[in-house]
Amino acid sequence: MTEVAHILQLVAKDLQIEARSRQTIGLIVVLGVLIVVVLGLGLGAGGPVEGMRATAILWVAYLFGGVLCFEKTMAVEAHDGALAGLMLAPVDRGSIYLGKLLANLALMLAMALVVTPVGVVMFRFDLSVAPAGFIVVMALSMIGFAAVGTLFAAAVTSSRLQGGLLAVLVFPLCLPLVIASTQQMLGMFEEGRALAGPGLGLLIAFDIIFIAASWLVFEALLEP
Amino acid sequence: MIIAPAHPILATGAASAGAIAPPAIRAAGLSRRIGDRTVLSDVNLCIQPGEFVALLGANGAGKSTLLKVLATLATGVTGALALFGRPVRGRAAAARARIGMIGHQLMLYRDLTALENLVFFGRLYGVAHVRQRATALLDFVSLADRADEPVRTLSRGMAQRVAIARSLMHDPDLLLTDEPFTGLDYHSARRLEDCLTDLHAGGRTIILATHDLDQVLRLAQRVVVLCSGRITLDRPTAGLDAELVAAAMGGMGLEGGAA
Repeated sequence: MTEVAHILQLVAKDLQIEARSRQTIGLIVVLGVLIVVVLGLGLGAGGPVEGMRATAILWVAYLFGGVLCFEKTMAVEAHDGALAGLMLAPVDRGSIYLGKLLANLALMLAMALVVTPVGVVMFRFDLSVAPAGFIVVMALSMIGFAAVGTLFAAAVTSSRLQGGLLAVLVFPLCLPLVIASTQQMLGMFEEGRALAGPGLGLLIAFDIIFIAASWLVFEALLEP
Repeated sequence: MIIAPAHPILATGAASAGAIAPPAIRAAGLSRRIGDRTVLSDVNLCIQPGEFVALLGANGAGKSTLLKVLATLATGVTGALALFGRPVRGRAAAARARIGMIGHQLMLYRDLTALENLVFFGRLYGVAHVRQRATALLDFVSLADRADEPVRTLSRGMAQRVAIARSLMHDPDLLLTDEPFTGLDYHSARRLEDCLTDLHAGGRTIILATHDLDQVLRLAQRVVVLCSGRITLDRPTAGLDAELVAAAMGGMGLEGGAA
């Protein structure tokens, strides 16, 4: 119960800082929209874009926006040694990880709420074919992506490696997630298949494995 | 002899404990390597509750590393460490609940106000009546009128005072201070010295890592000198002179130089 309270306090702190500084959400939304618009124009905006391409473009926006989000939320901890203050508290390191993960998810959700409608309008992407399926697949994908990104953002921050390294570390690991997610979308939007199958199982397994593994190794990665 | 603390918020049970208390810190054979470099080597240390110990050493001597190890923040450490009679291994979180730390870094969130920072950290420590405690501590560090201002808008000296208040939110028994005077002007430094004196008078065990010998002689009862990760001198400050310290530091000079 105490750890749940700690997690909620950590999430509230991150969202409070973001609400005050608006440093992350503004950046990731603008980046996400720019990616969708630029890629959309490159593919010839105005006409409908097939579901596979549309979801792939949205994924690109989520990936780059997400990486920026992970870097910025960890940068808050790195500044003035705030992470050391956090680590001095009698809080389980796994709770720190989960708090950070949930805060990142909240920010990515906010980004998706802006970027997705832009993509839908721009690509004339017919979401009405499987709106629930789209939300489920994207939610599962984002959870897995944030699980990996939060872990590696902490590792990069603690090891004082350059922030740009995060994308290089995270993107290859998330490749199974992107492929499974895109295949699911393809099945739903172009082949009329229901939301199910090994792809969905892979997404769920990816989320569970990476959240559990990150919970376990987070302590070893963190050092102020 | 324990001097009465100057401020009621500094009073602590440790000062009045009549029974024989276990050492605040007992370290045996603490070592730490980073890559090929040994940053701490076979450190043996026993510090009694209520002692004020100064940690001296040149840059890179291992002072900050030792404080990080004592604060249970370092990984890859070998040897045994017990705080207040209990081994740290396997119960680091409980040990951390009794430790406060002030560093040259603030360990605060710049975009939160002074009060929000204290309330946040206080809640993590499970402090009762957290808002009242935070307000009282801000009053203690003379920042009650700046409580609702973001830390980024405060001067270095003020922010350091908020950091002191943060380190005291959970009323720690052991205070580790790592060059806390860095970047402070004369008045802020004297204020911090007074604060440390009061905290010591309140019965807390304090370890101060510094480069200033005059400061050590003013504040501490005991000095520990580190050189290349090893303890080369451990003695009371009474009768201490600069030459002795310099020799223990491998011939390096110090700020101040009072005999």
